[in-house]
Amino acid sequence: MRVAARARWGGMLLVLPALAIVALFFVWPLVMSSVSAFEDKDAGATLAHFEKAWDFYSNDLIFTVAIVALSTLLIAVLSIAIAGYLTLGENARARGALRWLYRWPLFIPFIVTAQVMRTFLAKNGMLNHVLIGSGLIDPLSAQSMLDWRGIVVAFVWKQTPFVTLLLAGAMASVDDQHIEAARNLGASRLRVLWEIVLPQSTRTLLVGLVLSYVAMLSVLSVPMMINPNSPTMLTVDVAYRIASHGDYGVANALCLMSLVIAAFGAWFYLRHSLRHAEAIA
Amino acid sequence: MSATAVAYASPALPAVQRAGTTLLRATVIALLAFIVFGPLLNLLLWAFTERWYFPHKLPQAYGLTYWFRVFSPRGGAITSLVTSIWIALLTVVLSLVVAIPAGFALARLKLPARALIMLLFLLPQAIPNLPVYVNIARMFYSVNLNGTILGVVLVHASHGLVLAVWIASAAFAAVDVSLEEAARNMGAGAWRCFCTVTLPLAMPGLIASAIFVFLESLDEFTGTYFVGVPDVITLPLLLFNASNGGNYQIASITALLLLIPSIGFMLLVERFLKADVLAMIGK
Amino acid sequence: MRKPSFLAVALAASLLSLTMPATADTTLNVVSAGDQNMVDYVNNFLGPKFEALNPGVKVRAVGTGPGDAGSQKIYEKLSAEKGANTATWDIDVAVVHQRGAATMMKESLLAPYTKDIAAGKLISRDSATNALGTNVGGYVIPMFHSQIVFAYNSDVVKTPPKSFDELKEWVRKNPKQFGYNGVKGGMSGVGFVTGWVEAYSGMAGQLERGPYDPSKKAVIDKSLESLKDFNKYVVMTPGNAGTLDMLNRGEIAMGPVWVDMFYTWVADGKMNPSVKLELPKPGLPGQPMYYVVPAKAAHQALARKFIDFAASPEIQAEGIVKQFNWYPGIDAKYVKPKMDEKSWDKLFADVSPDTLQKYGRPFPLSDYFTDILEGYEQVVSK
Repeated sequence: MRVAARARWGGMLLVLPALAIVALFFVWPLVMSSVSAFEDKDAGATLAHFEKAWDFYSNDLIFTVAIVALSTLLIAVLSIAIAGYLTLGENARARGALRWLYRWPLFIPFIVTAQVMRTFLAKNGMLNHVLIGSGLIDPLSAQSMLDWRGIVVAFVWKQTPFVTLLLAGAMASVDDQHIEAARNLGASRLRVLWEIVLPQSTRTLLVGLVLSYVAMLSVLSVPMMINPNSPTMLTVDVAYRIASHGDYGVANALCLMSLVIAAFGAWFYLRHSLRHAEAIA
Repeated sequence: MSATAVAYASPALPAVQRAGTTLLRATVIALLAFIVFGPLLNLLLWAFTERWYFPHKLPQAYGLTYWFRVFSPRGGAITSLVTSIWIALLTVVLSLVVAIPAGFALARLKLPARALIMLLFLLPQAIPNLPVYVNIARMFYSVNLNGTILGVVLVHASHGLVLAVWIASAAFAAVDVSLEEAARNMGAGAWRCFCTVTLPLAMPGLIASAIFVFLESLDEFTGTYFVGVPDVITLPLLLFNASNGGNYQIASITALLLLIPSIGFMLLVERFLKADVLAMIGK
Repeated sequence: MRKPSFLAVALAASLLSLTMPATADTTLNVVSAGDQNMVDYVNNFLGPKFEALNPGVKVRAVGTGPGDAGSQKIYEKLSAEKGANTATWDIDVAVVHQRGAATMMKESLLAPYTKDIAAGKLISRDSATNALGTNVGGYVIPMFHSQIVFAYNSDVVKTPPKSFDELKEWVRKNPKQFGYNGVKGGMSGVGFVTGWVEAYSGMAGQLERGPYDPSKKAVIDKSLESLKDFNKYVVMTPGNAGTLDMLNRGEIAMGPVWVDMFYTWVADGKMNPSVKLELPKPGLPGQPMYYVVPAKAAHQALARKFIDFAASPEIQAEGIVKQFNWYPGIDAKYVKPKMDEKSWDKLFADVSPDTLQKYGRPFPLSDYFTDILEGYEQVVSK
């Protein structure tokens, strides 16, 4: 009994340094941020910052939600497709090529992604040159994708490999016997994916998606370099308020709004986890 | 996995259908290759360009002028590179030093509120960190930590800790307890058992987490933008300044420099991150 | 075991950093806001020359980014150091925009120095004492003057619009051929917006010289409404370099640019030489960047020496005008004799000194400036 208690508190001691770092350098500034959003110049409480933030940036708020939601959706679809093929695909060469191919963007930092997309997606950039060159579109209808579409492309390009990596790992640990049984009963691969493999890897998929969703909400480099003009993502507005006006009040108000948007994502994950836990219990 | 896939290969299709499927497969893979490598190819082009403007589809003149500029003693790139690597290494060391005991405790010992603790570590990745960076700069100003390497390392570490702790915890959880029990039965003390049995077995997972933390730190931009400028200039900041200044050649060369450790580690990480460890992340 | 190898690498890295060129006796910290060309100027031109004349001194140049945002970073750092009561501050010479200098002046972050150096006698323009309405006389020396102009591709645009009114017509007939960067990402867009307000608010004089009247915001907002309509026919670019970039790729045919950035791009092979410049009626703003010395800079004497050197007629001629394509910071009459006619004329090839005199305007007063920026976000971007 005493040993168990000692082990418990000894355990807490082991976790303490890591917790301290997160508490001091993450939680504390976060609290400061939330407080600052409600403070006016004389340290009284006010909603003025939120009013101003809503007045100026409500468009950007909606825009941010839309972009991140769309990106997450696209990432989910693509990663299920790629991970699914890696698990159930039949052509070993194709699988090998795919496995080698899909990982590359994972190791390209967001800032490099922003830079390459800037020249790749421009009106006279490489993508359009190739499309025109191969006759798929005619020169006059070439469009610059350096707006919300460029941001979505950059996000999906960069984050899909991450989610696919996690998902492929989870799918690989699905018991072969389940797949075997289904196939023996005549189920197509698509059906096996949808009804057997995917449900058993949903948890990992959600982890990857939520992490991506939140990561995308924080990225400054991509919207700043591809499209900083309204409508744009909230991160650009936060940087602008601070850099050009020293306006921490409105900046923090915008940050709180980002937190609320992020909370939605976390809520999805928690809801699923709880249901999962209940199902097991 | 490959064995089972072979076992389920569909019965032989007529040749035309097979050719069609192969063509479809090849097209999809080619398309994917374009999507993945097209933008990177553009980067390569700009890195070696001397003159390029509309209406030319490819650079008019190639050359290495900008490489000399980047690597000139005052170019700042070498300093930034060293700064970036140094910060990343320190971040890894700090993260591992605190994550190993934490991961072990979370995997092996029954801690009160274990789920809550795991969730707490998830916060830096689960919550947009922009508000944190913005306000941490203010905090650091008052303790003279702003614009210092230590300040940047602390910011990077607090963000990367979740990777370190979660993966470390998963790595320790994947170690077969019976091996530890065998060692204990043979008379090894707890510390000895940890050093000679548990740690080496968890090492591949720990290396993988170290690699992820290293890469995250190397590529980190937003935090360093608020906390490091103007004294601590990392490679991503240099890239950002060059790109915003329209100097695509320098931006592309800097990007290539950033990619070298990234891609190098990508080829390495597969050796260390086995599927069973991956599956245990988050449990 | 793997861990030792990480340690070994760490040790190697620290050894490597130790073997980097040893720090000289004194390091002069020059921090500059503005685009990368400002940092390049100190790194590639000014720094080496100054070090050659002052052995034992190393000049370290750092940039904080373009636009007022860059100056804001410098202000924040100095303000924090003042608040923390540090004995000496780690910026010796700062190069900032007018707005930044005005803010720093108001908070007593600067040291007076122009009376102590020879170059202090070479400045007599209004910009040497007036930063957007704040008196900065004695505390600043302009490093250069730059001007925002319209750049247009003369191959595509045969008769460019010569005024804001003509521009409004032009964009309707040529949609998506004009681009600017709004108020984020660089001052060229901001300058265009203030130029618009000055053209259509009827209070250009008051905007530039005061007095400040907060009730005039309504007038400013009204003049911005037509800009909202205008924006439908134009392309928004990501920043100063973004506009030049799109001109380079032929995606727009016209846009506001900084003269110096433009000429540097041409010299770097990134701009089609057939792109020309013009200054429309009733004018576009230009601004100086200022050399300032923080009040508690660590190397006060060295900082003064550096600025004296940088503002000397020879350096202004050779560096500012000839190599980096800026208009001189000190009075032109001191710089012109130090230059050959060809180089001098090159700077005025597209925009003559006369036109510059008539249509090159200063930015509005700080408070009006803020009103215009806020007005843009409230009226135009939504």
